[in-house]
Amino acid sequence: MLARNFIKHFPCKNLSRHHILRDSVRPLIFFTSSTPQSSFSISASLSTSSSSSSSSSCFTDESFAAPYLSVRINCPKHVLDPFSDALLCFGASSVAVDEDIEEDNEDAASGSSLASKEICIESIFPVHEEVKMCISQAANSIGLKEIPKFKVEMGDEQDWITKNQDLFQPVEIADRLWIVPEWTSPPVPEAVNIILNPGFAFGTGEHPTTKLCLLLLQSLIKGGEAFLDYGTGSGILAIAALKFGAASSVGVDIDPLAIKSASHNAALNNIPLEKLELHLAPSENSSSGRETPLQKEQFDVVIANILLNPVMELADHIISFAKPGATIGISGILSEQLPNVKERYSPFLENISIATIGDWVCMSGTKKGEFIDNC
Amino acid sequence: MAAAKEILLRRPVAATIRLTVPAGGARPATPVGPALGQYRLNLMAFCKDFNARTQKYKPDTPMAVTITAFKDNSFEFTVKSPSVSWYVKKAAGVDKGSTRPGHLTVTTLSVRHVYEIAKVKQTDPFCQYMPLESICKSIIGTANSMGIKIVQDLE
Repeated sequence: MLARNFIKHFPCKNLSRHHILRDSVRPLIFFTSSTPQSSFSISASLSTSSSSSSSSSCFTDESFAAPYLSVRINCPKHVLDPFSDALLCFGASSVAVDEDIEEDNEDAASGSSLASKEICIESIFPVHEEVKMCISQAANSIGLKEIPKFKVEMGDEQDWITKNQDLFQPVEIADRLWIVPEWTSPPVPEAVNIILNPGFAFGTGEHPTTKLCLLLLQSLIKGGEAFLDYGTGSGILAIAALKFGAASSVGVDIDPLAIKSASHNAALNNIPLEKLELHLAPSENSSSGRETPLQKEQFDVVIANILLNPVMELADHIISFAKPGATIGISGILSEQLPNVKERYSPFLENISIATIGDWVCMSGTKKGEFIDNC
Repeated sequence: MAAAKEILLRRPVAATIRLTVPAGGARPATPVGPALGQYRLNLMAFCKDFNARTQKYKPDTPMAVTITAFKDNSFEFTVKSPSVSWYVKKAAGVDKGSTRPGHLTVTTLSVRHVYEIAKVKQTDPFCQYMPLESICKSIIGTANSMGIKIVQDLE
Protein backbone atom coordinates (compact mmCIF):
# COMPACT_ATOMS: atom_id res chain seq x y z
CA MET A 1 0.00 0.00 0.00
CA LEU A 2 2.77 2.42 0.82
CA ALA A 3 5.61 2.73 -1.64
CA ARG A 4 8.93 1.80 -0.21
CA ASN A 5 10.79 4.78 -1.51
CA PHE A 6 9.12 7.49 0.43
CA ILE A 7 8.19 5.86 3.62
CA LYS A 8 10.23 6.12 6.70
CA HIS A 9 9.22 3.92 9.52
CA PHE A 10 10.40 4.93 12.94
CA PRO A 11 9.99 2.02 15.28
CA CYS A 12 10.91 2.96 18.76
CA LYS A 13 13.02 -0.08 19.37
CA ASN A 14 15.42 0.25 16.50
CA LEU A 15 16.76 3.64 17.37
CA SER A 16 18.22 2.80 20.70
CA ARG A 17 18.73 -0.25 22.74
CA HIS A 18 17.28 1.50 25.72
CA HIS A 19 13.99 2.73 24.46
CA ILE A 20 11.25 2.52 26.95
CA LEU A 21 7.91 2.17 25.28
CA ARG A 22 5.72 4.34 27.37
CA ASP A 23 3.53 7.22 26.42
CA SER A 24 6.51 9.49 26.37
CA VAL A 25 8.52 9.86 23.24
CA ARG A 26 11.86 8.23 22.69
CA PRO A 27 14.46 9.35 25.11
CA LEU A 28 17.39 11.44 24.14
CA ILE A 29 20.00 11.16 26.73
CA PHE A 30 23.36 12.74 26.87
CA PHE A 31 25.55 11.57 29.57
CA THR A 32 28.74 13.20 30.55
CA SER A 33 31.31 11.84 32.83
CA SER A 34 34.84 12.65 33.66
CA THR A 35 37.22 10.68 31.56
CA PRO A 36 40.69 9.98 32.82
CA GLN A 37 42.58 11.97 30.22
CA SER A 38 40.25 14.86 29.74
CA SER A 39 40.53 17.91 31.89
CA PHE A 40 36.90 18.91 31.56
CA SER A 41 34.52 16.89 33.64
CA ILE A 42 30.98 17.84 34.17
CA SER A 43 29.26 17.61 37.45
CA ALA A 44 25.80 16.16 37.42
CA SER A 45 24.53 19.04 39.49
CA LEU A 46 24.25 21.04 36.29
CA SER A 47 20.93 19.47 35.57
CA THR A 48 18.40 21.48 37.47
CA SER A 49 14.95 22.48 36.42
CA SER A 50 15.82 26.15 36.42
CA SER A 51 18.44 25.61 33.79
CA SER A 52 15.90 24.06 31.48
CA SER A 53 13.66 27.09 31.58
CA SER A 54 16.52 29.47 31.06
CA SER A 55 17.91 27.40 28.24
CA SER A 56 14.63 27.34 26.39
CA SER A 57 14.49 31.11 26.52
CA CYS A 58 18.04 31.41 25.23
CA PHE A 59 16.94 29.71 22.06
CA THR A 60 14.01 31.94 21.38
CA ASP A 61 14.36 33.68 18.09
CA GLU A 62 11.77 35.82 16.35
CA SER A 63 11.13 33.27 13.67
CA PHE A 64 10.73 30.47 16.19
CA ALA A 65 8.63 32.27 18.75
CA ALA A 66 6.15 33.09 16.01
CA PRO A 67 2.59 32.50 17.08
CA TYR A 68 0.26 30.51 14.91
CA LEU A 69 -3.46 29.94 14.73
CA SER A 70 -4.79 26.61 15.83
CA VAL A 71 -8.23 25.93 14.43
CA ARG A 72 -10.60 23.08 15.22
CA ILE A 73 -13.09 22.41 12.46
CA ASN A 74 -16.01 20.03 12.52
CA CYS A 75 -16.10 18.44 9.15
CA PRO A 76 -18.57 15.91 7.75
CA LYS A 77 -16.85 12.57 7.63
CA HIS A 78 -17.60 11.77 4.01
CA VAL A 79 -15.74 14.80 2.67
CA LEU A 80 -12.76 14.57 4.99
CA ASP A 81 -10.13 13.92 2.33
CA PRO A 82 -11.15 16.52 -0.25
CA PHE A 83 -11.82 19.06 2.45
CA SER A 84 -8.36 18.57 3.97
CA ASP A 85 -6.72 18.97 0.58
CA ALA A 86 -8.82 22.04 -0.12
CA LEU A 87 -7.85 23.59 3.21
CA LEU A 88 -4.18 23.09 2.37
CA CYS A 89 -4.72 24.75 -1.01
CA PHE A 90 -6.45 27.75 0.43
CA GLY A 91 -4.01 28.71 3.13
CA ALA A 92 -3.77 26.13 5.91
CA SER A 93 -0.25 25.17 6.91
CA SER A 94 -1.26 21.75 8.11
CA VAL A 95 -4.27 19.55 8.68
CA ALA A 96 -4.40 16.82 11.30
CA VAL A 97 -7.08 14.28 12.07
CA ASP A 98 -7.22 12.31 15.28
CA GLU A 99 -7.98 8.65 14.89
CA ASP A 100 -9.87 8.29 18.14
CA ILE A 101 -13.20 9.15 16.66
CA GLU A 102 -15.24 6.36 18.18
CA GLU A 103 -15.25 7.79 21.68
CA ASP A 104 -16.28 11.19 20.44
CA ASN A 105 -19.26 9.75 18.66
CA GLU A 106 -20.53 7.87 21.66
CA ASP A 107 -20.10 10.86 23.90
CA ALA A 108 -22.17 13.10 21.68
CA ALA A 109 -24.84 14.05 24.17
CA SER A 110 -27.29 15.54 21.72
CA GLY A 111 -27.35 12.28 19.81
CA SER A 112 -28.19 14.01 16.57
CA SER A 113 -27.30 12.09 13.47
CA LEU A 114 -24.95 14.83 12.39
CA ALA A 115 -22.67 14.35 15.39
CA SER A 116 -21.88 10.77 14.50
CA LYS A 117 -20.95 11.75 10.96
CA GLU A 118 -18.60 14.56 11.85
CA ILE A 119 -14.91 14.48 12.38
CA CYS A 120 -12.84 17.06 14.15
CA ILE A 121 -9.93 18.46 12.16
CA GLU A 122 -7.10 20.33 13.80
CA SER A 123 -5.63 22.78 11.43
CA ILE A 124 -2.79 25.23 11.76
CA PHE A 125 -2.78 28.54 9.99
CA PRO A 126 -0.23 31.32 9.72
CA VAL A 127 -1.12 34.08 12.09
CA HIS A 128 -2.13 36.61 9.43
CA GLU A 129 -4.35 34.28 7.48
CA GLU A 130 -8.06 34.95 7.14
CA VAL A 131 -9.29 31.71 8.61
CA LYS A 132 -12.98 32.20 8.00
CA MET A 133 -12.49 33.06 4.33
CA CYS A 134 -10.14 30.17 3.81
CA ILE A 135 -12.56 27.69 5.32
CA SER A 136 -15.49 29.01 3.32
CA GLN A 137 -13.48 28.91 0.10
CA ALA A 138 -12.41 25.37 0.83
CA ALA A 139 -15.99 24.35 1.58
CA ASN A 140 -17.24 25.99 -1.61
CA SER A 141 -14.61 24.37 -3.75
CA ILE A 142 -15.81 20.90 -2.83
CA GLY A 143 -19.48 21.76 -2.94
CA LEU A 144 -20.36 21.76 0.74
CA LYS A 145 -23.69 23.43 1.37
CA GLU A 146 -22.75 25.16 4.56
CA ILE A 147 -19.54 26.34 6.16
CA PRO A 148 -18.37 23.92 8.85
CA LYS A 149 -18.27 25.14 12.42
CA PHE A 150 -14.84 26.07 13.64
CA LYS A 151 -13.03 27.50 16.63
CA VAL A 152 -9.82 29.52 16.50
CA GLU A 153 -7.15 29.66 19.16
CA MET A 154 -3.80 31.40 19.25
CA GLY A 155 -0.94 29.00 19.63
CA ASP A 156 2.55 29.87 20.70
CA GLU A 157 5.68 28.08 19.50
CA GLN A 158 7.18 28.31 22.95
CA ASP A 159 4.52 26.12 24.48
CA TRP A 160 5.15 22.90 22.67
CA ILE A 161 8.91 23.33 22.65
CA THR A 162 9.13 23.32 26.41
CA LYS A 163 6.35 20.77 26.59
CA ASN A 164 8.32 18.34 24.52
CA GLN A 165 11.56 18.75 26.36
CA ASP A 166 10.77 15.68 28.42
CA LEU A 167 10.91 13.71 25.19
CA PHE A 168 14.68 13.78 25.51
CA GLN A 169 16.01 11.11 27.76
CA PRO A 170 19.44 9.55 28.09
CA VAL A 171 20.64 7.52 25.10
CA GLU A 172 23.34 4.90 25.21
CA ILE A 173 25.34 5.03 22.01
CA ALA A 174 27.84 2.31 22.82
CA ASP A 175 29.19 0.65 25.88
CA ARG A 176 30.04 3.46 28.30
CA LEU A 177 29.10 6.25 25.93
CA TRP A 178 25.94 8.11 26.78
CA ILE A 179 24.22 11.28 25.72
CA VAL A 180 22.30 12.96 28.54
CA PRO A 181 19.90 15.89 28.37
CA GLU A 182 20.81 18.90 30.43
CA TRP A 183 18.01 18.36 32.92
CA THR A 184 18.69 14.71 33.75
CA SER A 185 21.47 13.18 35.72
CA PRO A 186 23.57 10.55 33.99
CA PRO A 187 22.39 6.99 34.62
CA VAL A 188 25.98 5.74 34.47
CA PRO A 189 28.23 8.38 36.01
CA GLU A 190 31.43 6.50 35.16
CA ALA A 191 30.76 6.34 31.43
CA VAL A 192 31.70 9.00 28.92
CA ASN A 193 28.72 11.29 29.22
CA ILE A 194 27.96 14.14 26.85
CA ILE A 195 25.44 16.60 28.25
CA LEU A 196 23.29 18.28 25.64
CA ASN A 197 20.50 20.69 25.19
CA PRO A 198 19.98 20.66 21.45
CA GLY A 199 17.51 23.52 21.26
CA PHE A 200 16.70 23.88 17.60
CA ALA A 201 19.82 22.22 16.30
CA PHE A 202 20.21 18.71 15.02
CA GLY A 203 22.20 16.19 16.95
CA THR A 204 20.87 14.47 20.00
CA GLY A 205 22.42 11.07 19.52
CA GLU A 206 19.14 9.41 18.69
CA HIS A 207 19.36 9.60 14.95
CA PRO A 208 21.15 6.76 13.15
CA THR A 209 23.50 9.18 11.39
CA THR A 210 24.61 10.77 14.64
CA LYS A 211 25.20 7.33 16.09
CA LEU A 212 27.21 6.23 13.08
CA CYS A 213 29.37 9.33 13.32
CA LEU A 214 29.87 8.98 17.06
CA LEU A 215 30.95 5.37 16.67
CA LEU A 216 33.30 6.34 13.86
CA LEU A 217 34.78 9.08 16.02
CA GLN A 218 35.23 6.73 18.91
CA SER A 219 37.24 4.37 16.74
CA LEU A 220 39.35 7.12 15.18
CA ILE A 221 40.34 9.42 18.02
CA LYS A 222 43.38 8.13 19.82
CA GLY A 223 44.45 11.38 21.45
CA GLY A 224 45.76 14.72 20.24
CA GLU A 225 43.97 14.99 16.90
CA ALA A 226 42.56 18.13 15.36
CA PHE A 227 38.93 17.53 14.46
CA LEU A 228 36.59 19.38 12.11
CA ASP A 229 32.83 18.95 12.44
CA TYR A 230 31.31 20.32 9.25
CA GLY A 231 27.63 20.90 9.89
CA THR A 232 27.98 20.78 13.63
CA GLY A 233 24.35 21.31 14.64
CA SER A 234 24.21 20.90 18.40
CA GLY A 235 27.96 20.41 18.49
CA ILE A 236 27.61 16.83 19.62
CA LEU A 237 30.38 15.43 17.42
CA ALA A 238 32.81 18.23 18.21
CA ILE A 239 32.24 17.78 21.93
CA ALA A 240 32.43 14.00 21.69
CA ALA A 241 35.78 14.23 19.91
CA LEU A 242 37.20 16.33 22.72
CA LYS A 243 35.86 13.87 25.27
CA PHE A 244 37.55 11.03 23.43
CA GLY A 245 40.84 12.87 23.66
CA ALA A 246 41.18 15.07 20.58
CA ALA A 247 43.40 18.08 21.02
CA SER A 248 40.99 20.56 19.49
CA SER A 249 37.65 20.68 17.70
CA VAL A 250 36.22 23.11 15.20
CA GLY A 251 32.51 23.22 14.43
CA VAL A 252 31.09 24.90 11.34
CA ASP A 253 27.42 25.46 10.50
CA ILE A 254 25.36 27.76 8.29
CA ASP A 255 22.64 28.14 10.91
CA PRO A 256 23.26 30.73 13.64
CA LEU A 257 20.94 28.85 15.97
CA ALA A 258 23.15 25.80 15.64
CA ILE A 259 26.20 27.84 16.63
CA LYS A 260 24.29 29.13 19.64
CA SER A 261 23.23 25.64 20.60
CA ALA A 262 26.75 24.28 20.17
CA SER A 263 28.35 26.95 22.32
CA HIS A 264 25.73 26.37 25.01
CA ASN A 265 26.48 22.67 24.94
CA ALA A 266 30.21 23.31 25.05
CA ALA A 267 29.68 25.26 28.24
CA LEU A 268 27.55 22.45 29.64
CA ASN A 269 30.44 20.10 29.11
CA ASN A 270 32.93 22.54 30.62
CA ILE A 271 34.85 22.91 27.40
CA PRO A 272 37.10 25.97 27.26
CA LEU A 273 36.95 28.22 24.23
CA GLU A 274 40.41 27.42 23.03
CA LYS A 275 39.54 23.75 22.66
CA LEU A 276 36.31 24.23 20.69
CA GLU A 277 36.04 26.87 18.00
CA LEU A 278 32.73 27.55 16.31
CA HIS A 279 32.34 29.24 12.96
CA LEU A 280 29.25 30.40 11.14
CA ALA A 281 29.67 29.52 7.50
CA PRO A 282 28.00 31.76 4.93
CA SER A 283 25.12 30.11 3.12
CA GLU A 284 24.45 30.21 -0.61
CA ASN A 285 24.69 33.99 -0.91
CA SER A 286 28.42 34.02 -1.51
CA SER A 287 29.05 31.85 -4.51
CA SER A 288 32.78 31.60 -4.72
CA GLY A 289 34.67 29.91 -1.92
CA ARG A 290 33.17 29.98 1.53
CA GLU A 291 35.18 32.39 3.58
CA THR A 292 35.73 30.69 6.87
CA PRO A 293 38.88 31.58 8.83
CA LEU A 294 40.21 28.04 8.64
CA GLN A 295 43.43 26.94 7.09
CA LYS A 296 43.63 24.23 4.51
CA GLU A 297 45.08 20.86 5.45
CA GLN A 298 44.74 21.55 9.13
CA PHE A 299 42.73 18.60 10.45
CA ASP A 300 43.36 14.95 11.20
CA VAL A 301 39.71 13.96 11.23
CA VAL A 302 36.88 15.62 9.33
CA ILE A 303 33.24 14.59 9.59
CA ALA A 304 30.37 16.08 7.62
CA ASN A 305 26.92 14.82 8.65
CA ILE A 306 24.61 16.95 6.51
CA LEU A 307 22.53 15.99 3.45
CA LEU A 308 23.21 14.68 -0.04
CA ASN A 309 23.22 17.99 -1.91
CA PRO A 310 25.53 20.00 0.36
CA VAL A 311 27.85 17.01 0.71
CA MET A 312 28.15 16.77 -3.07
CA GLU A 313 28.55 20.48 -3.67
CA LEU A 314 31.03 21.06 -0.88
CA ALA A 315 33.14 17.96 -1.52
CA ASP A 316 36.25 19.83 -2.61
CA HIS A 317 35.84 22.30 0.20
CA ILE A 318 35.42 19.68 2.89
CA ILE A 319 38.34 17.62 1.66
CA SER A 320 40.62 20.63 1.42
CA PHE A 321 40.58 21.06 5.18
CA ALA A 322 41.95 17.59 5.81
CA LYS A 323 45.64 16.78 6.00
CA PRO A 324 46.88 14.12 3.57
CA GLY A 325 46.25 10.76 5.23
CA ALA A 326 43.50 12.21 7.41
CA THR A 327 40.20 10.37 7.77
CA ILE A 328 37.08 11.93 6.33
CA GLY A 329 33.59 10.75 7.29
CA ILE A 330 30.45 11.64 5.34
CA SER A 331 26.95 10.92 6.59
CA GLY A 332 23.37 12.17 6.50
CA ILE A 333 22.90 10.19 3.31
CA LEU A 334 20.56 7.35 2.54
CA SER A 335 21.86 4.07 1.20
CA GLU A 336 20.27 4.77 -2.17
CA GLN A 337 22.25 8.02 -2.37
CA LEU A 338 25.54 6.34 -1.51
CA PRO A 339 26.71 5.50 -5.06
CA ASN A 340 26.67 9.19 -6.03
CA VAL A 341 28.61 10.23 -2.95
CA LYS A 342 31.13 7.44 -3.40
CA GLU A 343 31.70 8.46 -6.99
CA ARG A 344 32.16 12.07 -6.01
CA TYR A 345 34.65 11.37 -3.26
CA SER A 346 36.63 8.45 -4.61
CA PRO A 347 39.13 10.61 -6.54
CA PHE A 348 40.24 11.95 -3.18
CA LEU A 349 39.77 9.07 -0.77
CA GLU A 350 41.22 5.61 -0.42
CA ASN A 351 40.32 2.76 1.97
CA ILE A 352 36.69 3.67 1.72
CA SER A 353 34.48 1.83 4.17
CA ILE A 354 30.74 2.01 4.76
CA ALA A 355 28.78 1.64 7.97
CA THR A 356 25.00 1.27 7.92
CA ILE A 357 22.13 1.63 10.34
CA GLY A 358 18.74 1.08 8.71
CA ASP A 359 18.48 3.25 5.61
CA TRP A 360 21.32 5.56 6.65
CA VAL A 361 24.99 5.16 5.85
CA CYS A 362 28.26 6.69 6.90
CA MET A 363 31.12 6.60 4.42
CA SER A 364 34.68 7.06 5.61
CA GLY A 365 38.06 7.01 3.91
CA THR A 366 41.53 8.45 4.14
CA LYS A 367 42.64 11.37 2.03
CA LYS A 368 45.10 10.46 -0.66
CA GLY A 369 48.59 11.83 -0.38
CA GLU A 370 48.92 13.77 -3.64
CA PHE A 371 46.02 16.04 -4.23
CA ILE A 372 44.40 14.86 -7.44
CA ASP A 373 42.97 17.70 -9.40
CA ASN A 374 39.32 17.21 -10.16
CA CYS A 375 37.46 18.93 -12.93
CA MET B 1 -15.03 -1.33 13.72
CA ALA B 2 -12.24 -0.15 15.95
CA ALA B 3 -11.16 -3.74 16.57
CA ALA B 4 -11.09 -4.50 12.89
CA LYS B 5 -9.02 -1.42 12.25
CA GLU B 6 -6.49 -2.38 14.85
CA ILE B 7 -6.13 -5.86 13.53
CA LEU B 8 -5.23 -4.48 10.14
CA LEU B 9 -2.74 -1.96 11.45
CA ARG B 10 0.52 -2.89 13.02
CA ARG B 11 0.13 -0.30 15.73
CA PRO B 12 -2.68 1.88 16.93
CA VAL B 13 -2.75 5.13 15.04
CA ALA B 14 -3.04 8.37 16.95
CA ALA B 15 -3.54 10.79 14.09
CA THR B 16 -3.02 11.54 10.42
CA ILE B 17 -1.33 14.83 9.63
CA ARG B 18 -1.11 16.46 6.23
CA LEU B 19 1.05 19.40 5.41
CA THR B 20 3.09 21.07 2.73
CA VAL B 21 6.82 21.40 3.23
CA PRO B 22 9.43 22.76 0.81
CA ALA B 23 11.73 20.04 -0.50
CA GLY B 24 14.95 19.90 1.48
CA GLY B 25 13.69 22.69 3.69
CA ALA B 26 11.99 21.08 6.67
CA ARG B 27 12.75 22.99 9.89
CA PRO B 28 11.42 22.55 13.39
CA ALA B 29 9.55 25.86 13.06
CA THR B 30 6.07 26.41 11.59
CA PRO B 31 4.46 24.52 9.95
CA VAL B 32 6.32 21.38 10.93
CA GLY B 33 6.85 22.34 14.55
CA PRO B 34 3.32 22.89 15.86
CA ALA B 35 1.78 20.20 13.66
CA LEU B 36 4.13 17.45 14.78
CA GLY B 37 4.89 18.86 18.19
CA GLN B 38 1.27 18.46 19.20
CA TYR B 39 1.58 14.73 18.81
CA ARG B 40 5.01 14.66 20.45
CA LEU B 41 6.77 13.36 17.40
CA ASN B 42 10.51 13.69 17.02
CA LEU B 43 10.81 16.87 14.96
CA MET B 44 14.48 16.64 14.17
CA ALA B 45 14.23 13.07 13.02
CA PHE B 46 11.38 13.99 10.69
CA CYS B 47 13.21 17.02 9.31
CA LYS B 48 16.41 15.12 8.66
CA ASP B 49 14.57 12.22 7.07
CA PHE B 50 12.28 14.37 4.98
CA ASN B 51 15.14 16.56 3.79
CA ALA B 52 17.27 13.57 2.88
CA ARG B 53 14.46 11.95 0.90
CA THR B 54 13.59 15.13 -0.99
CA GLN B 55 17.14 15.99 -2.03
CA LYS B 56 16.40 15.01 -5.60
CA TYR B 57 13.71 17.67 -5.99
CA LYS B 58 14.45 21.28 -6.77
CA PRO B 59 14.87 23.10 -3.47
CA ASP B 60 11.70 24.70 -2.10
CA THR B 61 9.35 22.70 -4.30
CA PRO B 62 6.25 22.39 -2.11
CA MET B 63 5.91 18.71 -1.28
CA ALA B 64 2.70 17.24 0.08
CA VAL B 65 3.52 15.12 3.14
CA THR B 66 1.17 12.76 4.92
CA ILE B 67 2.33 11.64 8.34
CA THR B 68 0.78 8.78 10.27
CA ALA B 69 1.46 9.28 13.96
CA PHE B 70 1.21 6.19 16.12
CA LYS B 71 0.23 6.13 19.75
CA ASP B 72 3.75 5.27 20.85
CA ASN B 73 4.98 8.54 19.30
CA SER B 74 6.66 6.82 16.39
CA PHE B 75 5.57 7.77 12.89
CA GLU B 76 5.69 7.03 9.20
CA PHE B 77 5.33 9.45 6.37
CA THR B 78 4.82 9.49 2.63
CA VAL B 79 5.87 12.29 0.36
CA LYS B 80 4.08 13.29 -2.81
CA SER B 81 5.35 15.73 -5.38
CA PRO B 82 3.25 18.87 -5.88
CA SER B 83 -0.04 18.63 -7.68
CA VAL B 84 -0.10 18.57 -11.46
CA SER B 85 -1.74 21.99 -11.47
CA TRP B 86 1.24 23.41 -9.57
CA TYR B 87 3.66 22.02 -12.15
CA VAL B 88 1.56 23.25 -15.02
CA LYS B 89 1.38 26.74 -13.57
CA LYS B 90 5.11 26.75 -12.93
CA ALA B 91 5.95 25.54 -16.42
CA ALA B 92 3.63 28.11 -17.95
CA GLY B 93 4.92 30.85 -15.69
CA VAL B 94 1.49 31.87 -14.46
CA ASP B 95 0.10 32.29 -10.98
CA LYS B 96 -3.46 31.26 -11.60
CA GLY B 97 -5.34 29.39 -14.24
CA SER B 98 -7.90 30.99 -16.46
CA THR B 99 -11.06 32.41 -14.93
CA ARG B 100 -13.10 30.85 -17.73
CA PRO B 101 -11.43 27.61 -18.73
CA GLY B 102 -12.70 26.31 -22.01
CA HIS B 103 -13.44 29.79 -23.20
CA LEU B 104 -10.42 31.81 -22.27
CA THR B 105 -6.92 30.49 -22.80
CA VAL B 106 -4.33 31.98 -20.53
CA THR B 107 -1.21 30.59 -22.13
CA THR B 108 0.17 27.53 -23.89
CA LEU B 109 2.54 24.73 -23.07
CA SER B 110 4.34 22.37 -25.36
CA VAL B 111 4.09 18.61 -25.50
CA ARG B 112 7.63 18.51 -24.19
CA HIS B 113 6.54 20.24 -20.97
CA VAL B 114 3.84 17.63 -20.49
CA TYR B 115 6.38 14.87 -20.95
CA GLU B 116 8.75 16.39 -18.38
CA ILE B 117 5.99 16.79 -15.83
CA ALA B 118 4.83 13.24 -16.45
CA LYS B 119 8.32 11.92 -15.77
CA VAL B 120 8.41 13.68 -12.40
CA LYS B 121 4.93 12.52 -11.45
CA GLN B 122 5.80 8.97 -12.32
CA THR B 123 8.16 8.89 -9.34
CA ASP B 124 5.24 9.50 -7.01
CA PRO B 125 4.26 6.46 -4.99
CA PHE B 126 0.76 6.53 -6.40
CA CYS B 127 1.68 6.82 -10.05
CA GLN B 128 4.51 4.38 -10.28
CA TYR B 129 2.62 1.72 -12.15
CA MET B 130 0.74 3.97 -14.51
CA PRO B 131 1.94 4.08 -18.11
CA LEU B 132 3.49 7.39 -19.06
CA GLU B 133 0.82 7.93 -21.66
CA SER B 134 -2.00 7.89 -19.11
CA ILE B 135 -0.15 10.33 -16.92
CA CYS B 136 0.34 12.63 -19.90
CA LYS B 137 -3.33 12.47 -20.77
CA SER B 138 -4.28 13.37 -17.24
CA ILE B 139 -1.88 16.30 -17.27
CA ILE B 140 -3.32 17.57 -20.52
CA GLY B 141 -6.78 17.30 -19.02
CA THR B 142 -5.74 19.28 -15.97
CA ALA B 143 -4.07 21.93 -18.10
CA ASN B 144 -7.17 22.31 -20.25
CA SER B 145 -9.33 22.69 -17.18
CA MET B 146 -7.09 25.56 -16.16
CA GLY B 147 -7.36 27.25 -19.53
CA ILE B 148 -3.87 26.29 -20.65
CA LYS B 149 -3.58 24.88 -24.13
CA ILE B 150 -1.10 22.22 -25.11
CA VAL B 151 0.56 22.69 -28.48
CA GLN B 152 3.00 20.62 -30.42
CA ASP B 153 5.85 23.09 -30.23
CA LEU B 154 6.43 26.50 -28.75
CA GLU B 155 8.28 28.87 -31.05
